[in-house]
Amino acid sequence: MNSKNVPFYKPQGNEVELFEHAYNNQLPLLIKGPTGCGKTRFIRHMAAKLDRELYTVACHDDLTAADLVGRHLINEQGTYWCDGPLTRAVREGAICYLDEVVEARKDTTVVLHPLTDDRRILPIERTGETLEAPDEFMLVVSYNPGYQNLLKGMKPSTRQRFTGVSFEFPDKQTEIYVLLAETDVDKATAEKLVSLANAMRALKDHDLEEAASTRLLIYAATLIASGLPIQQACKAAMVEPLTDDKETIDALMEVVNALLG
Amino acid sequence: MEERVGEIWHNFITRMADKNYPEAEVKLVDIKKTVGVFFRALGGDGALSVLQTDASEYSSERGLLRRIARSTEKYEFAWLDEGALRLPEVIDYFATKTLNKELYLWLAALSSIPKQSADWLLDNQQRTQLALRAYPGLKALYQRLLNAHLSQRPEIDKISKAERAAEVLIVAALKNPGSVSELPPSKYMPRLVLLWLHPSPPVSQTEVAKDLGDSDNQRSGQEKDATDIGKKQAKRVETPEVARGLITIRMENLFTWGEFANMDRSTDDDEDPDNAKDVAKDLDELAIARNQRASKVQMKFDLDLPSEAMDDEILASGILLPEWDWKTQTLIENKCQVVSLVSSHEQDTQLPEHLKATAKKLRNQFQAITPARTWHYAQNDGQEIDMDAYLKYKTDALAGHSDGKVNLYKSLDSGARDLSCLLLADLSLSTDTWVNDDSRVIDVIQDSLYLFAESLKATGDRFGMYGFSSRKTNPIRIHTLKAFDEPYNGQIRSRIADIKPGYYTRMGAGIRHATSLLKNQVAMQQLLLVLTDGKPNDLDQYEGRYGIEDTKQAILSAKALGLKVFCVTIDEKANDYLPNLFGANGYSLVKKVTDLPKMLPMLYARLTI
Repeated sequence: MNSKNVPFYKPQGNEVELFEHAYNNQLPLLIKGPTGCGKTRFIRHMAAKLDRELYTVACHDDLTAADLVGRHLINEQGTYWCDGPLTRAVREGAICYLDEVVEARKDTTVVLHPLTDDRRILPIERTGETLEAPDEFMLVVSYNPGYQNLLKGMKPSTRQRFTGVSFEFPDKQTEIYVLLAETDVDKATAEKLVSLANAMRALKDHDLEEAASTRLLIYAATLIASGLPIQQACKAAMVEPLTDDKETIDALMEVVNALLG
Repeated sequence: MEERVGEIWHNFITRMADKNYPEAEVKLVDIKKTVGVFFRALGGDGALSVLQTDASEYSSERGLLRRIARSTEKYEFAWLDEGALRLPEVIDYFATKTLNKELYLWLAALSSIPKQSADWLLDNQQRTQLALRAYPGLKALYQRLLNAHLSQRPEIDKISKAERAAEVLIVAALKNPGSVSELPPSKYMPRLVLLWLHPSPPVSQTEVAKDLGDSDNQRSGQEKDATDIGKKQAKRVETPEVARGLITIRMENLFTWGEFANMDRSTDDDEDPDNAKDVAKDLDELAIARNQRASKVQMKFDLDLPSEAMDDEILASGILLPEWDWKTQTLIENKCQVVSLVSSHEQDTQLPEHLKATAKKLRNQFQAITPARTWHYAQNDGQEIDMDAYLKYKTDALAGHSDGKVNLYKSLDSGARDLSCLLLADLSLSTDTWVNDDSRVIDVIQDSLYLFAESLKATGDRFGMYGFSSRKTNPIRIHTLKAFDEPYNGQIRSRIADIKPGYYTRMGAGIRHATSLLKNQVAMQQLLLVLTDGKPNDLDQYEGRYGIEDTKQAILSAKALGLKVFCVTIDEKANDYLPNLFGANGYSLVKKVTDLPKMLPMLYARLTI
């Protein structure tokens, strides 16, 4: 893989160095941050940079340990074993990324335990195998601390096995840089969009469940760059996705009008 | 007859005098939410709610008609105080609805900018400049409002010479904000400027504190014992006007009794200072504050409280809890004292007749949703192979009659839950209000508690139920209705039957105590449900922002301990303050109060499944 294929990522802080150090020392990493702030992009970037295969698992509440480790399947000849993404990553020495790990069932995360301490092993109960993770294998999990189901959270015993890094939305300059790099929008528009996003982020928890993400900003900028008028683009990409409430939509549009002119 | 004629004349002449546009009016209630979001997005404090302002007297020079119409002019100005953004109830100054709405937005935008200067003229100009610079989109809006407003301002040759200079400067200041630094002295205020904020907003506590801080020597004279009426303690006081000199106590300045309270009795204004003095004699503590123009007397009484305290057995007392003071941003340790109570006449009590049918239905529903973790066989996907299904499949295939079914897996679904829930019910005196002809809020809460307990018993989740009320910081009364380790039975029902409204709502303390009870429960998930009928309030400064901020801190620390906090309210105004306290998804408003008993178990189900 050459550098051209490395997905664009603009670091917010020291996360790149941190990731590299964690990787070199075989430590698992926990990434926290609001939705759309660049967690997944960061990991894709790092995987490409370190020239490792990346296995991404989007966790959901029906995700079982078997979905991660693997299970027996059936074909005409009989049963055969099929590796799950985690097992495959361990065998190949790849990076395994569990997105929104809190969504997964509690028992699921327990299979991660022997992998995330100094043993670095993955016992596969059903086949009697015990895989030892090569040095190149790395486990990365992420979750969004802002959005949680009332009853979902990460068990402290699981959390404690990870090194952690918090992501926030990038600061103004970084976010403008990201917009310019990701889309064909001009600098003045990018600046306006970023100040709009920051105004809307002030509404989190009070009027909005979630803050306008960098991802939404990029959507808006993309729409603008492809010719949609700025107000309409903002409505489509930054207002409608955040709320269903008519009054809040109207209010946000007033904010859009006030800031963009 | 005379009255009727007078009324017609009044209406006629005020209509002549007011050049407003009632057909284009925009009401605050209709756009409150929009204005609120707008204000906060522009950097306004999320803890502030949007409220309507009171009319303030404003004496500018007036035309003949206006003078005939009214003796004094009153206007509703916008201003920001420590608790709220205050905007006029209705705006109908302009001919179109759009312009009137835009004026609301403009006033909110101006308010979102921090105070620039103590001088009204400079402050408004600088805020305007900053707003236009920060939000380019407002330029066009301001221009539209400005044009409309300028066309309404009096023509320069129709006003008296004395006011002309001021008028010219005001217009200049509006057109080029920042260009005017001073107005010529005059006995009138300049003609009303719709686009600006309140010329002299009522002073907020924080500002007073700042003023006092700025001039310590002034302050020292004011905290005085009111010696002429015996030993009275005087509280936070106010800068006296220099001309009046230093005084021990001025009765028309009597602002609160006991402690600050929102009971405005402005009609009783200092007609008879002796009365106030008599009242003051009976007090432990007096607080005296500065008045703007007319002095106001505000009083709050320690209301006649039911004697429920007599009925209850004190389980424990002396648990001390901290309280958050937002003004100093510190947590004051050991501020509140908890008294834990349990009803003293416990007997085996049956569920009230009118709830039996509903309770049965709920029990059945809750039993059905009780998640037991079981293997589901013959699934088309699952963690394990279903050996029976596989064997059958294989033998069928060997025998040559495969039916093509491939449901060969088994899966383990819906895990048992490990959940503790504490229901904290507000039992303050406000629950004594009647919701309809047959029941009070407290009755509805009582029914809710019954049905909640019936439902939770069916799920098998561990739960506790507590009630709370308070009278200042001591005591915080915590009524144990059901402790976690007690089984739900007739005894518990008799405690529920025994609840009575009383005292006030020191919600922060209630939540902190509930947190300490709940965090000791061994369970993977701990859920704190708060059931209330209104804002946090108490006799002391807990009314208003203090209470809101303390409650917020209590919730934050509960969340920090890993508890899930959810609020169920029947207060229709809850949307103004609960999002700030519990988060947009952290509460639920039950609009029809009588639905609460049925809604509560359903809400619980929705939250935890």
